[in-house]
Amino acid sequence: MAAAPQLNDVMKTLADPTRRAVFERIAREEEITAGALVAGTRVSQPAVSQHLRALREAGLVSERREGRHVHYRVRRQGLKPLVGWLEFYAEFWTERLDKLEQLLSEMDRK
Amino acid sequence: MTASRSIVIERRLPHAPDKVWRALTEDALIAQWLMANDFRPEVGHRFTFRAKPMGDWDGTVQCEVLACEPNRLLRYSWTGGAASNKKYGSVLDSTVTWTLMPVDGGTHLKMEHAGFRSPDNDFAYDAMSPGWGRIVKGLERLVAAQAAPA
Repeated sequence: MAAAPQLNDVMKTLADPTRRAVFERIAREEEITAGALVAGTRVSQPAVSQHLRALREAGLVSERREGRHVHYRVRRQGLKPLVGWLEFYAEFWTERLDKLEQLLSEMDRK
Repeated sequence: MTASRSIVIERRLPHAPDKVWRALTEDALIAQWLMANDFRPEVGHRFTFRAKPMGDWDGTVQCEVLACEPNRLLRYSWTGGAASNKKYGSVLDSTVTWTLMPVDGGTHLKMEHAGFRSPDNDFAYDAMSPGWGRIVKGLERLVAAQAAPA
């Protein structure tokens, strides 16, 4: 498994306006197939595939196969490097407090 | 004008305050749910938390115990980040306060992480309130800001 994409990777991936448009479209649609993405734009199918691959490698979209179709959706956590401390720590503390609760229960058994 | 925001999380725990206090103040226990640390429950004690580095931030949080009232209240400063990044990873100068209140059958625990300041973290505020959709809408502006040479 590759290292989690960092801010620079995410920025580089989204710097391309066409790719960013593809990403925003996926975000609006919740989930969309590659075919539907191509049908809705003037971008060629190979170009859309290439953008989808880049978005996937940057951790920004995930794919789900269903028969011959591949469905894409935005990975919210892929945007994490962009959103700053407040968002980062909101998630961080929620996770850590879950762990604290777990630890407290384990202390009972010791 | 500098605005400051907080994150507040409250939990009702089926454990007595003195036990919750131990989990919050014994270094070996803290390490199990929060991060590796050299904490001591003494006002004025300086210590660090060590997390995974992210971007320009080396993952170190510098702290100092500001208040320590056993089974009741614990507060420490929480600073970290890197000045080289104006958005994510900008320097954070904040405080974390733990408040414990005995309740029937356990403890009401409140965590407040205060001191998220505008404008350094503007984008984070935008993203928080009307939902994450704003993140997507702000991408263009953000990409433009970040693409400027350092």
